[in-house]
Amino acid sequence: MGLADYSNALMPETRGFSTSTLPSVDDPEKAFADITRQDYENYIQDYRGFEESLIDKAKKDTSLIDRAPEDAAKQAEIAKGVQERNISRYGGAGLSIAQRQEQQRALQRQGQLGLAGGLNTARTAQRDINQTTLADLINIGQGVNRSSLAGMQTASQNAAAKASAYKNAKAAHTSQMVGLGSSLAATAILAFAI
Amino acid sequence: MSSKPKQQDYQASEAEKTQASVAKAEKSYFNKTYGPLLREMRDVSMREDLGGVARGVAGADTMQSLTGQGPSLTGTKSVDEAADLASAAVGQMAAASAQGLAAQRQQQTGVLGTARGQAGEAMSGLAAASRIQNTKDLQAAKAKQMVRMAQTEAGVNLATTLGKQGFENLGNDTSFFGGKTKLRDDTGNLKGVTRKNTWSDRFKLGAYG
Repeated sequence: MGLADYSNALMPETRGFSTSTLPSVDDPEKAFADITRQDYENYIQDYRGFEESLIDKAKKDTSLIDRAPEDAAKQAEIAKGVQERNISRYGGAGLSIAQRQEQQRALQRQGQLGLAGGLNTARTAQRDINQTTLADLINIGQGVNRSSLAGMQTASQNAAAKASAYKNAKAAHTSQMVGLGSSLAATAILAFAI
Repeated sequence: MSSKPKQQDYQASEAEKTQASVAKAEKSYFNKTYGPLLREMRDVSMREDLGGVARGVAGADTMQSLTGQGPSLTGTKSVDEAADLASAAVGQMAAASAQGLAAQRQQQTGVLGTARGQAGEAMSGLAAASRIQNTKDLQAAKAKQMVRMAQTEAGVNLATTLGKQGFENLGNDTSFFGGKTKLRDDTGNLKGVTRKNTWSDRFKLGAYG
């Protein structure tokens, strides 16, 4: 699809668009708070369970290890089938009983070796993937942690600023009351002086 | 003298409202368009069996490489050809499974990172909102404090002026509020009678007004 296909003709909602159709916002601060709160609610509703399940998988997943024995058995079975079909195709291929037995033993031995090797590989890969996933999750969590701390810092700074403003206001009030008292006292002294 | 502060002077300007309005429309469009996409990616990342796809490819590759030339008598007679095939296939399957799982996890953490990024934005947004609110609260408290101080100061000034003027009045042979003047005789002694002051007399008496 070329760029021309993205013209207004294909998008009725953008045709004749006017800014007058924009949602009206009388209180930007409230709108901002509503949107951010909604975003957080969406995260809790849509992704919190997903996140917890992923953390659980990163810690406990053994799907690769579980699959290894199954794979080894299945591949040995397939190889055995291929071998038997080939022998059948060549009318026994002139193989003696001893040779056939040796072939079967080699297949069995390789099957067991495959199982052991497969399990080892699977364990390593599983551990690697789980660790990587966990590291990624921790990275994400660290970002969230950083945002939370930044939020907390802002909140505590705000609280400190408010406390300081309250303290200043109290001091100003006290000073004002002292001024009032001294002014009244001055008036009284003036009255007696007269 | 400056006029009383008007509330409308402290409300959001047209530019701010328009900016907020555009931002709200953009946010709404984002939620409507990209929100479902991300949720779909989340579901797909959970449901999709990338390991299965990779294993299918790996199996086909193995068989094509090792049996693609067709059977041979030498191979059939070989003791370990089938064993080698099984061994190679197991190795390939293990690698494919690991690759598939790694890709799936990467997809899942990608979805979560994006979702968490949005939540992070929401949190810093709330922090910013609380910062704005805090500034507003402080300004409001400061304004209230200023009004209170001005009221008290005005009361004190009024009381002081009233007191000073009252005592001045008393000293000038008038009553405290300056309503009457004590009359004196020619020798300067108080006659014991008073005269009601006119407004003109009151203005003449005023020293602090």
